[in-house]
Amino acid sequence: MSEYTVVGQTVARVDAVEKVTGAAQYGADVHPAGMLYGKIVRSKQAHANILSIDTSEAEKLPGVRAIITQDDVPSGRRVFATDKVLYLGEPLAAVAATDPDIAEEAAELIKIEYEVLPVVQDVMEAIKASAPRLQSDAAKDGPNRREISAQIRKLSRDKENDHSDEISKLEAALEEYPDEVYYNISAESHSEAGDVEKGFAESDVVVEDTYVIPRVHQTYMEPHVSVASADSSGKVTVWASTQGPFAIRSGIAGTLGIPLTQINVIGTTMGGGFGGRFGVIITHVPAVLLSQKTGRPVRVQMTREEEFIDGRPAPGCVIKIKTGATNDGQILAREALAFWDSGSVSGASIGSTIRVRGVYKIPNLKVDAYGVHTNKSGTAAYRAPGAPQAIFAGESQLDEIADRIGMDPVKFRLMNMREEGDPVPAGANEPKVGYKETLEAVADAAGWWDREAGENQGWGVAVGDWTNGCGPGGVYVSVHEDGSARIFHGSMDITGTDTMISQITAEILTIPYESVTIRRGDTDSAPYSTGSGGSVVTFTMGNTAKLAAEDAHRRILELASERLNMNVDNLELKDGAVHVISADPPKSISLGELAAYSLSTTGGPIVGKGSFARQASTPALAAQIAKVEVDPDTGRTRVLKLVASQDVGYAINPMAVEGQIEGGTVQGYAWAMMEEMQYGENGNINPGFVDYRVPTSADLPTVESVIVEVPAPNGPYGAKGVGEPPITPTLATMANAVKDAIGVRITELPIKPEKVVEALKSNGH
Amino acid sequence: MKGFEFFEPTTLAEASQLFAQEHTQLLAGGTDLVIGMKALTEAPQSVISLQKIPGLAGVITEADGSISVGAMTKVREVELSADVQKHHAALAEGAAEIGSIQIRNLATIGGNIAHASPAADTVAGLLVADAQVDIASADGERSVPIDELFTGPGQTVLTPGEIITRFRLPSPSSGSHYIKHKIREVMDLAFIGVAAAVNLDNGTITDARIGLAAVAPTPIRATEAENLLRGNELTEELLEQAGEAAAAASSPISDLRCSAEHRREMVDVLTRRTLQEAVARA
Ligand SMILES: Cc1cc2nc3c(=O)[nH]c(=O)nc-3n(C[C@H](O)[C@H](O)[C@H](O)COP(=O)(O)OP(=O)(O)OC[C@H]3O[C@@H](n4cnc5c(N)ncnc54)[C@H](O)[C@@H]3O)c2cc1C
Repeated sequence: MSEYTVVGQTVARVDAVEKVTGAAQYGADVHPAGMLYGKIVRSKQAHANILSIDTSEAEKLPGVRAIITQDDVPSGRRVFATDKVLYLGEPLAAVAATDPDIAEEAAELIKIEYEVLPVVQDVMEAIKASAPRLQSDAAKDGPNRREISAQIRKLSRDKENDHSDEISKLEAALEEYPDEVYYNISAESHSEAGDVEKGFAESDVVVEDTYVIPRVHQTYMEPHVSVASADSSGKVTVWASTQGPFAIRSGIAGTLGIPLTQINVIGTTMGGGFGGRFGVIITHVPAVLLSQKTGRPVRVQMTREEEFIDGRPAPGCVIKIKTGATNDGQILAREALAFWDSGSVSGASIGSTIRVRGVYKIPNLKVDAYGVHTNKSGTAAYRAPGAPQAIFAGESQLDEIADRIGMDPVKFRLMNMREEGDPVPAGANEPKVGYKETLEAVADAAGWWDREAGENQGWGVAVGDWTNGCGPGGVYVSVHEDGSARIFHGSMDITGTDTMISQITAEILTIPYESVTIRRGDTDSAPYSTGSGGSVVTFTMGNTAKLAAEDAHRRILELASERLNMNVDNLELKDGAVHVISADPPKSISLGELAAYSLSTTGGPIVGKGSFARQASTPALAAQIAKVEVDPDTGRTRVLKLVASQDVGYAINPMAVEGQIEGGTVQGYAWAMMEEMQYGENGNINPGFVDYRVPTSADLPTVESVIVEVPAPNGPYGAKGVGEPPITPTLATMANAVKDAIGVRITELPIKPEKVVEALKSNGH
Repeated sequence: MKGFEFFEPTTLAEASQLFAQEHTQLLAGGTDLVIGMKALTEAPQSVISLQKIPGLAGVITEADGSISVGAMTKVREVELSADVQKHHAALAEGAAEIGSIQIRNLATIGGNIAHASPAADTVAGLLVADAQVDIASADGERSVPIDELFTGPGQTVLTPGEIITRFRLPSPSSGSHYIKHKIREVMDLAFIGVAAAVNLDNGTITDARIGLAAVAPTPIRATEAENLLRGNELTEELLEQAGEAAAAASSPISDLRCSAEHRREMVDVLTRRTLQEAVARA
């Protein structure tokens, strides 16, 4: 029996009724009186110089109230492109009109004259010298070349001495690095531990492959939307569908030079986020600018097509990876070189390349990662940003090694997994983690050890690790005269976190879950809260809520002590009342009575406050096993079984945890098997759900989830963030299962029927 | 969406007259049209609903035992009709492949065909049923064989004012089958679609019809393959020849969904599979 009564239980979500009845207010439900409709005018070219923008025709259209371009951004911060566009769909202007159709028509009437420039979409092309350069800062030419160039520049600046000999030598040296000179580099990240060359030399088996992972979209159900209202005093209110209202507030303040507290951001119920709903400029800033110009509230809402051409999806990636191991199964070295397709802005996710180290004792590791500019929109976070890509490469190759040395893939992983105290390559020492427990749990649940495979069937396993982030948060808890508690905070609930906060509060105050209600404030009213991303909310807000409830608990005992004239040491809060410990006859006073009493005391009402920002998190593992059947003639793959285990630390609401495991696993499956943003010469060519396929319930059997609980020392009740880990291994799980079924490794996702047929043909099918 | 005038005529004559005007569109279930209007690829000035015209919907068994399907019959009804399932399984299976149940409860078979997408899921089934397309206009009525209806992607022989009223399916096969090549189990458009229908006499194929979707500018029949089959028993070798002949008859394109080569190969694979199943059902 658990010592807890509310946490650890599956309870109905606090927002269940409003979600099911449709009462929840999403961004597009906000409709202040007099609201205008905004529309962003977008580039129709993927790479071009802008020669002119002519708004005169559009201005004449009845119903058009404002047209803005970069000239209307007083701070000068880049909101709209001016002289050059770098991708199809890049914003150039925005229109506000009395009706959405008029706004759309006006947007079409704005004449833009382009001078078309050569386009580059493929990262491996973009890094070549022959590629067009997209950003002026992208004249960065790779590590060696850069060092030498810097030296040349330094020498040339020295006008007092003649360095021409030295310079020409260096210039010659520059020529000697053709392979290591990468163009269009937006960012880079390098880590190293041990000596990989030595590790490879000592290995019996060395495998080297290149893995290609496509750019995918978060495909949250609700497209971006914001409604902004600027009043005559300069106060700006923004209803925003966002994961982080406080981040949006500071983002708008920074971009437009509006004082922070002159902006109130009201977070609306969100139709999913997955990391893609933090952008400031995407709709919020244009809405504010249009409202400032018109003096009316303005809604800017993206269509699904706009989401695809100008959302901030997950970057695609090309990873060259090499692993060496001994014949008895010890991994000795791993080296990875990754090129991340950053699109038009600097490289999100590239730091995650380090995840190729996995959870294994790899003594020698070298990781080099580059963000590469291409003519695509920028990228952002998507559920464990960067990890699914890196882990796909790492875990696919691990199976190749296991295959070569003839070892069972689960045993091979178990043998190499790190344990408490083991050094993490290029990191600190491992805390207590449940890596082996989690992998063993999934193997047992899936029936791995006595697995059977019919013709064209195969089994695949993979693991992925992720560590939740943490950030600042604040919570107030008030206890009312009826004995109920009310929580007030400012964190956005996407996954059921308000339910989790309510459970923790009920647990500490020893009252039923139903006696707790929760309210989210806007940025004007609520204490600061970190954004709901990076699996932070349970860790941060769970701890914060716990502190707030404990603070209320302290005040409750203090009141009871006053009221009962007893020392607090003789009192305990239990079942919603303060009891005198071992009193005979029993003596107690209810929370409601104490709350009523508190109103006429010097100390005042029961208000608990919790404030928290940072403590060390503990890594979590997701381990998955899939059984598939491949039709060798059509190349179609059917999933027969998908089992996902995860070390969640402690499951505060087991059903919500299972929901996260299932959802993340399905997203990983989709990335492996069907999702892919496709690009042609002029940008994204599948900007909609017809040709960007997300799976439906008909594509998969029920994901069986297995909860493993190895507590995190600093998590509330030992809980770890659960949202991100489950997507991390699935790409490799699927690829490994397909490999097992057909005997050929597919290294480029998604594993579409055509690729399977091709792979089999190359293998003589 | 652009503004438009909306008409709900109650007779075919009235509808046809309205539809003979320029910049008009018919509204059946709206699952193709409304999406086009929202995307601004369609901007009709008038939209003429067929929904109030009696007699255009429903599956009817005629006096001679043949079946006819009204143009306004919901795709879901085609899918679930016991008569269609029994005599034209390939058509019922094609109908069942369209979108989701919600879409199939709105979409009509007439819309699926009139939209003239080479990838339409009911078209291969109609091809192998030798369907006759009944067409009405203010000038009278005519009927064209389904394989003469299409002239290109989105193009048909229909002239202004002509409305499809019914699909007559004269020749029931003893066995037929449709397979759609796709990635997603449901809610996917056909990478290719193949239907086969056969009539057997004592194991000998007396008639065979093969319909191919999404492998040419219009849906096509694989007549070479059909000729190979007629008068023969289905052997492994014959299957292979038929598959190859069907693949040779196709002229697919490469696009974002897959390559022309993959499409052609799948014609081969799925022709063999549909034939095998059609024969097994016969
Ligand atoms: C989510 C979704 C999924 C879909 N999936 C599929 C799929 O898997 N497979 C597939 O084949 N299709 C699919 N479709 C397309 C569409 O549903 C079908 O083509 C449907 O059968 C169209 O019929 P409708 O009644 O809705 O046609 P409407 O949209 O009403 O009309 C389509 C066109 O046909 C014309 N038209 C309609 N009736 C007649 C008539 N009697 N005579 C002359 N012209 C006429 C109209 O003028 C219009 O141009 C999908 C659509 C959606 C929205």
